[in-house]
Amino acid sequence: MILFRTPLAFLPDTSQQPVPSGASRKREGKDIAMAQVSFILNGSAKTVTVDSIKTPLLWVLRDVIGLTGTKYGCGVEICGACTVMVNGRPEKSCDTTIGEVAGANIMTIEGLKSDPLGARLQKAWLQYQVPQCGFCQSGMLMAAYGRLKAGESVSSTANGIPNLCQCGTFQRVKDAIMAIPTIA
Amino acid sequence: MRATSAKHNSLVLDRRSFLAGAAATLFVPVTLTVTARSAAAAATGVGAYIRVGDDNTVTLITGQTEMGQGIGSGLAQIMAEELMLDWAQVRFEHAPVLPATYGLPGWGVQLTGGSTSTMMWYTPLRTASAKAAQRLRAAAALTHGGTQDQWSLAVGGKLTHPTYGQKTFASVLGQIANTSEPASVSFAGTKRIVGQPVRRLDLAGKVDGSAVFGMDVMVPGMVFASVIHCPTITGKVKSCPTTASGALAVVNLGDAVAVVAKNTWLAMRIAQSLQSKVTWSLPANPALLDSTALATTAQALQDQATPPNLKAYESAGVPDDKLGLLDATYKTPFLAHACMEVLNATVSVTRTNGTVTFVELWLPTQGQSFIPATVRSVPGLSTLTDAQIKVNSMLCGGGFGRKIEQDYVLQAVKIAAAVGKPVKLTWSRPQDFKNDKYRPCASMHVRMGADANGIKAMVYRNISASINFQHGSNPEDTGAVAGAVKLPYSIANRRIEFAPLPTGVPLGYWRSVGESYNTFAVESAIDELALKLGQDPIDYRLRMLTNDQRATRLLQTLKAAPGYTSMNAARRGVAFLKGFNSYVALAVEIALDTAGMIKVTKAHYVIDCGVVINPNAVEAQMQGGLVHGIYSALYNRVTFVNGVPQVQNFSNYRVLRPRDMPQVSVSILEGDPTTAMPGGIGEAGVPCVAPAIANAYHRLRGTRVRELPFHPGATMSEG
Repeated sequence: MILFRTPLAFLPDTSQQPVPSGASRKREGKDIAMAQVSFILNGSAKTVTVDSIKTPLLWVLRDVIGLTGTKYGCGVEICGACTVMVNGRPEKSCDTTIGEVAGANIMTIEGLKSDPLGARLQKAWLQYQVPQCGFCQSGMLMAAYGRLKAGESVSSTANGIPNLCQCGTFQRVKDAIMAIPTIA
Repeated sequence: MRATSAKHNSLVLDRRSFLAGAAATLFVPVTLTVTARSAAAAATGVGAYIRVGDDNTVTLITGQTEMGQGIGSGLAQIMAEELMLDWAQVRFEHAPVLPATYGLPGWGVQLTGGSTSTMMWYTPLRTASAKAAQRLRAAAALTHGGTQDQWSLAVGGKLTHPTYGQKTFASVLGQIANTSEPASVSFAGTKRIVGQPVRRLDLAGKVDGSAVFGMDVMVPGMVFASVIHCPTITGKVKSCPTTASGALAVVNLGDAVAVVAKNTWLAMRIAQSLQSKVTWSLPANPALLDSTALATTAQALQDQATPPNLKAYESAGVPDDKLGLLDATYKTPFLAHACMEVLNATVSVTRTNGTVTFVELWLPTQGQSFIPATVRSVPGLSTLTDAQIKVNSMLCGGGFGRKIEQDYVLQAVKIAAAVGKPVKLTWSRPQDFKNDKYRPCASMHVRMGADANGIKAMVYRNISASINFQHGSNPEDTGAVAGAVKLPYSIANRRIEFAPLPTGVPLGYWRSVGESYNTFAVESAIDELALKLGQDPIDYRLRMLTNDQRATRLLQTLKAAPGYTSMNAARRGVAFLKGFNSYVALAVEIALDTAGMIKVTKAHYVIDCGVVINPNAVEAQMQGGLVHGIYSALYNRVTFVNGVPQVQNFSNYRVLRPRDMPQVSVSILEGDPTTAMPGGIGEAGVPCVAPAIANAYHRLRGTRVRELPFHPGATMSEG
């Protein structure tokens, strides 16, 4: 079976009926505000319909939109597996609500290659054979990208990114980041 | 092999047959006939393991699970060597569940664990690939002309003939079925790919987000589920709501309550909120689930002359009257697996006229062989044949032994059967920590008599939680003493004994298993002796390893390595392991921060793993094993208070961040090319870490730490 796929090859049938933005509907006596939220996702305009604007961005990306490159690791902003770029800053999407990113510019791992610095990071990651199981690496790359993009030095970034990796790829993560100046 | 899905839905692997399988005669379990296909489809197989694409890509189909250790690529290297492929045309893919074909050769069980994959597949896969090469040549003759002898393989998946020129593998596939199984093979004898640091095949997808892990599977029409378990481990559901606000369904699973919702977050949130509305039947004997009580019992069993089920697993000479230089008890805790990818499984149940006719699963698993039985254990599914159960093995975001278990699989099948839609079950991280199959806790009483020339006598008693004993299948547990038996050291008088520590805490296989605690005790004890006797720790070991040429070479290499000599000897410690069919020596240098917490500053490994398939992979496994060993030794333990696990998330289960990484170097010793086999690397990097740190710490502080972790109660460092 397919172990590697083109992103968006599979989309869930969300069975959600679109309603006008801001409308609400009653269900079991509770008001649940369905909402449409729009933002820029990997360079393209995107609008999602969600039951609750409190839904974390992580789960909108994964379960609603079907972009599964961003991962769930802890849900409490410790591990960094969920890191995405929001308005030019690395953010933990497990604790960022979809409501909070209305109108924002979001980049996920799937969009990283569109930026030359991102592409260089991915090239470095391959050259140094960084990933083992790979589950943490989306977040690791986005965290490194966010710091480097903001002008942080490679050595500060290599030591500063907080991401967990239970396979222990840190030696090569650091080697790959330190090599960035030499990678075209 | 016995594999029982027993009381706690935990797996019991009979370690003896596990190891015996590795030593058994290896045979090629496959007949190289093309997989039956419809008349319209073109033949693409050359045997069950090799598929050739129209684009001349060649895919290895393997029953071994890629979970970060690089096995998919490593086995593909072996295939590629015999078929003279360009690495650029090689792929790998996980096989369906078909243990007779894809199970470990000589054993017939399709699972990944115990560092057995490369060792057990090396000869069978080389053989199957070499036979495939011969059949391709025969098929070329049938397809294009000439005789088999006139055709030869050329690099890049090509067949060449002096007259007919160069043809592709793809062009001859139609005639493979008309060729016969060669009686014998000769291997390519080249090292173009095996032994080279070729780039792993799965990396591209892991840097661009396209790799599909179990948790990433998307099936049309799917819904999402999560579970809560009893806060007291092994408790069962007594009563639970049948609905919940915002949920599509609530399902009583017996050992847990599942909530099904439109997305995973909702499912997790609603499940968590149900905790106050579920009543649980608590386990009968909480003392068997309490860390303080267990520690007291373990000591009592150590102190008893003959505790229940005591068995000596190794005896030689008469040790008891030659002891006296060391009397120490080493203790190690329960540990969690904490894979980055939590437990998850996606299941779709198809019904025809109300009867289940097909079950399809997509999941991260190390235990393919056990899944059909798991499916059949669900009421209403018992008569499903293997053909009615389809298992898609996805990439694992870490396994470490946790994903061989069937508990999460069973839950997902039950939920899917109940809701009638495809369901993706994802555990929350707290549930993953609180409902693990934990690395057994152990108490190891070591008594030794020794002099400057070596250890004269050793009595070693391991009292530990035992998987076998817990499931009542077998009070013996050879796995519990792995790392203490078959030591390569010359110790003329010894007795290695084990008695189980009864406990209700669910147990499982944790990366390096018995060695993860016995090596801590053994290598700490030897170091304590060396210090008492004023001996260099490497020289002292060498004196007891004169009969083992590989061990001798390994330790001599460590002693001379710049990675070793450049360390500050006053805060340096070494440890040695012969295990998993490999030899490993590790030196670490440590420092203390201002709060007195240990930091590993440098590490140097020397490893002899026999045949090296990919030196880059060997290095990676040592680097990763080091990290795993460091955070486990420094920070980790899971304790239970009357059955309630005292762990919540990474918040109080501290692991490393990039800034914690020591400088690590690895040197690889090649095995004898005429005799060597590939030894294990996936687990071999872990066991030496804890004792090496303890040994460094003793030199630095003058005190010996015999109980892990070094820093209990550590919470996660700042992000």
